[in-house]
Amino acid sequence: MALTDDRIARYARQLLVPGFGEEAQEQLGRSRVRVVGADGVASAALVTLVQSGIGKLWIEDHEDVAPADVEGWLYPPSAVGSPRAEAARAVLAPMSRFVSVEAYPTGGVPTATLVLAPSTAQAVASAEAARRAGIPHVVAEADGDGGAVISVPPGAPCYACARSTAGAGRPPQPGIAALAALAAEELVLMIAFPGTIPGRRLDLVRGVTTLRATTRLPGCVCAGATPAAV
Amino acid sequence: MSGAPPDPRPAPALRHPGAPLDIRGYACPLTYVKTRIALERLRAGEVLEVWLREGEPAESVPRSAEEDGHRVVAVEPLLAPGGGYRVLVEKGVGTGGGRWP
Repeated sequence: MALTDDRIARYARQLLVPGFGEEAQEQLGRSRVRVVGADGVASAALVTLVQSGIGKLWIEDHEDVAPADVEGWLYPPSAVGSPRAEAARAVLAPMSRFVSVEAYPTGGVPTATLVLAPSTAQAVASAEAARRAGIPHVVAEADGDGGAVISVPPGAPCYACARSTAGAGRPPQPGIAALAALAAEELVLMIAFPGTIPGRRLDLVRGVTTLRATTRLPGCVCAGATPAAV
Repeated sequence: MSGAPPDPRPAPALRHPGAPLDIRGYACPLTYVKTRIALERLRAGEVLEVWLREGEPAESVPRSAEEDGHRVVAVEPLLAPGGGYRVLVEKGVGTGGGRWP
């Protein structure tokens, strides 16, 4: 399936990125991405995913828009008090006619998952569910105006092996949008270039990123049978 | 274009796998995006013939192609209704999309 003229026009700038191309854009167009968490921190990631040209965006968040969420990129003040998944859909859907944006349907099977959960427990559970299903996933840990992005392609060390363990994350600052966008871009790469992004951890501290390969903790369950790649 | 003497060596055998890519109706950056996608579909050494409008497209597409590692074989006025320029681009080795650098 070749890209149509209107898709080429829509994604022209992205198609000019070195290494990117028609095949990568088509991979994105076929993807179904589940995003766990849609608070203010996740806003920049949601926008980035829609603008990249994924096929379907499933938003999973069962909370309402809080006043603090309005400081992100997504929610207008009038959305406060309304369900986040629906409020996010209302803003994101008009951004692109090529991307289907919906609340996550029960039983939906994504091809990739982005975890921006507000709690560590929820992040661990969501990442582990993705790992067991063999779904490539990325987890973002917010910490002040930085944090960490952990990429887990099928077979790589799991999120539990690579997550931060020293203390709780500080309250998000405005610069956190950079971390969320980095997480979304990392997932875009994993979708567009399957099998080329290794398990890795990207730390964003005071605007500087460092990247390192993730390693498996001794005895971790992820050392067992490797789920099939999606 | 220049006063350089013609190259006496025989022209290399270039493979033209398809019809010309007529993008005279497009503006930048779409002209090079479409050229680049067409080049992706070729194998290294094959040549793409692109028809471009005079002016900015005829100047920037050959330059962008060379920056991407392809070889511009010819840029010459197009003798076809509507005019413009005919550009021949030979796909370079290890170029094109589909692989993350």
